[in-house]
Amino acid sequence: MASDPDDMKRRDFMRRSLLTIPAVSLGSSLAFDAYADNGAPALSDYQPMFFEAQEWQFILAATDRLIPRDEHGPGALEAHVPVFIDKELAGGYGRAEDWYMQGPFHVDAPAALGYQLPHTPADIYRLGIAATRRYCQQRFNRDFVTLSHEDQESVLSALEQGRPDFARLGVDDLPSATFFSFLLQNTKEGFLADPIYGGNRHMVGWKMLGFTGARASFREWVDQYDRDYPLGPVSLSGERG
Amino acid sequence: MIRILSRMSALALVLGAMTAQAQGADDHDQALIERGAYLARAGDCVACHTAPDGDDFAGGLAIESPFGAIYSTNITPDPDAGIGRYSEAEFAAALRKGKRADGANLYPAMPYPSYARLTDDDLHALYVYFMQGVAPNDHQPQQTDLSFPFNQRWGISAWNWLFADQQPFEPNEQDSDRVNRGRYLVEGLGHCGSCHTPRGIFQQEKALGDDDGDDYLAGANLNGWLAPGLRGGGEDHLGVAGWQAQDIVDYLATGRNAHSAVTGEMTSVIENSTSHMSREDLAAMAAYLKTLPVSDSTDIGSERRISEQKTDQTEQQLRDATALDEGARLYLDNCNACHFADGRGGSGVFPALVGNSQVNADNPTGLLHTMLAGAQLPSTSERPEALMMPGFGWRLSDKEMADLATFVRQGWGNQGSPVTPEDVKKVRNSMDAREGFSGNPEATGANHPDDRAGASAQ
Amino acid sequence: MSITRPDVDVVIIGLGWTGSIMGMELTDAGLNVLALERGGERTKEDFLYPKPADELKYGVRLKMMQRPKQNTVTIRRNAEETAVPQRHWTTFHPGDGVGGAGSHWTGVLYRATPNELALKSFADRTFEPGFLPEDMTIQDYGVTYEELEPHYDFFEKVAGLSGQAGNVQGEIVEGGNPFEGPRQNPFPLPPLPRTLTDTLFTEATQKLGWHPYPYPSANVSGAWTNPYGMQLGPCNFCGFCSNYGCLNYSKASPQTCVLDALKQRENFSYRTNCEVTRIVKSDDGETVTGVRYRDGEGNDVYQPAKMVILASFPLSNVRLLLLSQIGRPYDPVANTGVVGRNFSYQITGSIDMYFKRHQFNPFISAGGSGQVIDDFSPDTFDTAKHGFIGGSYIYTTQGPGGAIGAVKVPPRTPSWGSEWKKNASEHYGHHMMLGTTGTNMSYRDVYLDLDPTYTDPHGDPLLRMTYDWKDNDLRMTQFMAERMREIVAELKPDYHTESFKQVGDHFDPSHYQSTHLTGGAIMGTDPNTSVLNRYLQHWDAHNLFVMGASAFPQNMQHNPTGTVAALTYWSAKHIRERYLDNPGPLMAKEDPANA
Repeated sequence: MASDPDDMKRRDFMRRSLLTIPAVSLGSSLAFDAYADNGAPALSDYQPMFFEAQEWQFILAATDRLIPRDEHGPGALEAHVPVFIDKELAGGYGRAEDWYMQGPFHVDAPAALGYQLPHTPADIYRLGIAATRRYCQQRFNRDFVTLSHEDQESVLSALEQGRPDFARLGVDDLPSATFFSFLLQNTKEGFLADPIYGGNRHMVGWKMLGFTGARASFREWVDQYDRDYPLGPVSLSGERG
Repeated sequence: MIRILSRMSALALVLGAMTAQAQGADDHDQALIERGAYLARAGDCVACHTAPDGDDFAGGLAIESPFGAIYSTNITPDPDAGIGRYSEAEFAAALRKGKRADGANLYPAMPYPSYARLTDDDLHALYVYFMQGVAPNDHQPQQTDLSFPFNQRWGISAWNWLFADQQPFEPNEQDSDRVNRGRYLVEGLGHCGSCHTPRGIFQQEKALGDDDGDDYLAGANLNGWLAPGLRGGGEDHLGVAGWQAQDIVDYLATGRNAHSAVTGEMTSVIENSTSHMSREDLAAMAAYLKTLPVSDSTDIGSERRISEQKTDQTEQQLRDATALDEGARLYLDNCNACHFADGRGGSGVFPALVGNSQVNADNPTGLLHTMLAGAQLPSTSERPEALMMPGFGWRLSDKEMADLATFVRQGWGNQGSPVTPEDVKKVRNSMDAREGFSGNPEATGANHPDDRAGASAQ
Repeated sequence: MSITRPDVDVVIIGLGWTGSIMGMELTDAGLNVLALERGGERTKEDFLYPKPADELKYGVRLKMMQRPKQNTVTIRRNAEETAVPQRHWTTFHPGDGVGGAGSHWTGVLYRATPNELALKSFADRTFEPGFLPEDMTIQDYGVTYEELEPHYDFFEKVAGLSGQAGNVQGEIVEGGNPFEGPRQNPFPLPPLPRTLTDTLFTEATQKLGWHPYPYPSANVSGAWTNPYGMQLGPCNFCGFCSNYGCLNYSKASPQTCVLDALKQRENFSYRTNCEVTRIVKSDDGETVTGVRYRDGEGNDVYQPAKMVILASFPLSNVRLLLLSQIGRPYDPVANTGVVGRNFSYQITGSIDMYFKRHQFNPFISAGGSGQVIDDFSPDTFDTAKHGFIGGSYIYTTQGPGGAIGAVKVPPRTPSWGSEWKKNASEHYGHHMMLGTTGTNMSYRDVYLDLDPTYTDPHGDPLLRMTYDWKDNDLRMTQFMAERMREIVAELKPDYHTESFKQVGDHFDPSHYQSTHLTGGAIMGTDPNTSVLNRYLQHWDAHNLFVMGASAFPQNMQHNPTGTVAALTYWSAKHIRERYLDNPGPLMAKEDPANA
């Protein structure tokens, strides 16, 4: 496949206005370099952008209970779900950048009318983790992260059912069930969103489901009824599983 | 995209100015100017005589030659910067003989060996158009300054004597009017041979017409891109012969047809020139090309004899998706969405890879460039949609790209040679930064400022 | 600061489907047309593979949608409640940017039936006097199916509609929808290939004696070149459809079907990030003189125009009319005024079935793929016997694509932990859905007005929606639930779950239902009960035309886009053929019958 210099120049000699393709350098940011390790830094090496140290420990422990590593495969920690949540909260989502956040806030409006709290998602985590840690201190006289798995699960169940009264723990306008619903939703997102966002590392969440990721091409499969799809997923950046 | 659009609107402005200027002229002049404008399109004068972001016909495009940069000249009727002082005879000498008004030779970047075919009538129309239909522009393009001995323009006389001895066009009495019209356009204004005829060691086209040997329009290699052979005769469906005349017309009018879509240099030819030509003239060009017998030297590239059995095998392999080599898996992950398991794409929308000339070309550079950087069709009046193919250079390593290209070049009965990671690396390195990629979700397309929040993870 | 721009013939507010279509039609007529789009530019580059295949960005964070921060709507169920804003979108997804909702819709492209366009006349013919509830305010559109048919036909060619005709020039065609209105031509393209869910649905409903047919799909089944020379490629069932831009040039949208052709025209231009804040009335009050908008740099700009086409999302259309004080606002107590009147929505319900024996591979999914029955449409059976006016189509579609939104676990499964994981993993791929999409009648106390409390960032009031479900419509959807249970009985899933509204339920906008929001600036033949005449021309300003589903007097069972587009071409035809030569009201206010 030699291309001799004259040949090059001849092509240029003939050059007309080139097809214009918007400029993006093909430089060092090539995605395949980035996942060459197949290993983003270990979770222990990750420097959170949003979470404070103790909050981070809480998120690690809580997401590990919500999607544990077990006989059905890797869990939230292997998937780097805490990294996903940290990045989301440090970004526009955490700031509720797209949301309508003007008052007045009718926090007691019927649930059917949707989210009416004055908090951004980042606020909800900051306040919710603090209140939950206080709740653990009151109930167990220990921090959440030092509880047994069983006790951690019991705390999470209590949150899910809205039992802890955050107002009595010094946090107003935040039902504990609302905090939990954000935590659970974002945990599942981090397990199942494209790895480009920091979670679903090595597409472990997709593999658990059998989801195909960003392949987006199944015309030939429409009429292959009841056949298990044989291929693993592919991510936006081209990582294959 | 933006540049293409601005180029189009700039042309629109010139044509608008032309109309305005010509209002005083009588109907005859007006008709003549319009014919001249049409012929200027057919000759694609604007492509070379316009600098990037410059005014149309004001010159200044740097044309890299093996001898150094040749700058195109201002051909607007400005008396000082342009050709405003040219008599019609001087204009004719420039177009047909490559002679400047002062007697010096033009560099043969100007396709005067082809334009020599022009009839007197057409030459006159072009002259009237450039003098009356184009707005004068006093832009002084950079002067060409080649190193010795190439700055010795007199040397071109010898070259001209050797290689540019074409005569004015004579219709061939055995052919129909339509075929003669086609030959006139292909050999003359269209100067198709500039790219599609192989060149000799003196950079001369090996043949300037079909009476000049089988090399004429036999296909050439332009920096690794195949400028495929256009010889379309014969019954074995080789090369352009694999296309019906209508397919050729569609391609020239719109940059796409039932089989293929334009990539590379031809894109701008279609955008600036052939898409503005009448269907009758395009049909004449197609009819002419279909009369040229495929010669031994024709680089057909496309539609080699594809074994249907192999086509089915590849399709079945991709459909099953159980026994895939690396290239086939990469095809499913990157290409199958548009080109499909049968490799046939979508008629007129997504080009077929089966038998595709660029895919099968001996040199894979054109294919690799397209795979790395993507491609975009021109927006033409008949087919306005500037369909884009994303590039995958950001997504695939050299090794992956090589495996994928090899699969595509050998799947479905295609007969391209294997591609190595080194081949890919070479093409990747040769691409300038502007030719980067257009589909990276991390790089572009942020709809809101925070879109990329968290997107730097990896 | 305030700037005045050079005047143009036409300003189009919003560059989605209707704005693009009007752009083509009015530039064809030789007019100098300027479109102002509130959102940003969206080109095919934004939709290049693999960019759209990003569920978090588009399916969850809804990045194709209007940002509630910029503009949202407040909701209450009745006049006693305090309306509160949709702070992030849940119940519907209004579009934003070039292409509008047309760039992220599902691609189901229907016509209205002849009776749906004249529903009040149909009801008067069909039901005993007094059958309709007193507070029901349904009306005829004022335009007939026969009048719209050529425009449906043309738009279907623009969009490359794929499917099976059921009624061609009065002949019923096997395999199509026998209950549709007669069409002059078959569909431009054949149906999409059949998925497993399609086949199961077809077999079951045929056994029940019903008439299944393929969803009319604007995700095209094959390569297509439309009348503008624009091109669509074969849909590959990529699984990223509703809420996403199409990565394959397969879903009809302004980008794939119109815009490159429109942008070639010298007499067309458009500006993005330009939010129109007012349509400006002339001193005599008979016409409008142009629009005011806020451009991307925050300038307040006055754009004079001889004609204004309001072509934004229905909610935005109504709000802008109210803010501009053009037309009398609707007052439900006094029952006066028109702007905001006859707002309606869509009644939906679904059943989710689990089959261990089937593998559906739900990532094989296209928005316009599916099978449907229309056997229970407003005019195909005796609805009075069941206590309602209206009807629904019942359908299946394979999917959903995506992962975050595709996890299905059996009832009573914990929502997290090992048990959730186990079930999520075992059940993925084994679900099939049945859906129903139904009519929603209009009612006296269901309407739109300006919110007294909440404003957009510039201090203009938000739109307020007062909406609740009504017994007539709930009885209708309950009837559909019974029919769908018959399908379930045929299909014999291992288990199924249901989601239907019950009589007595109240509107619950905390989860997604539909983006088919209609009415509020309705068309008709009487200025006392409609904002627009039957040509979509404003009764009170003859050079203002208002496009979109805000013109629907009540919502039909079928998806609105086809009718929205057909009405746009209908309006354009009358602008071109009559209005331009003789600008003025196309219908006399005093005596609509003579128009």
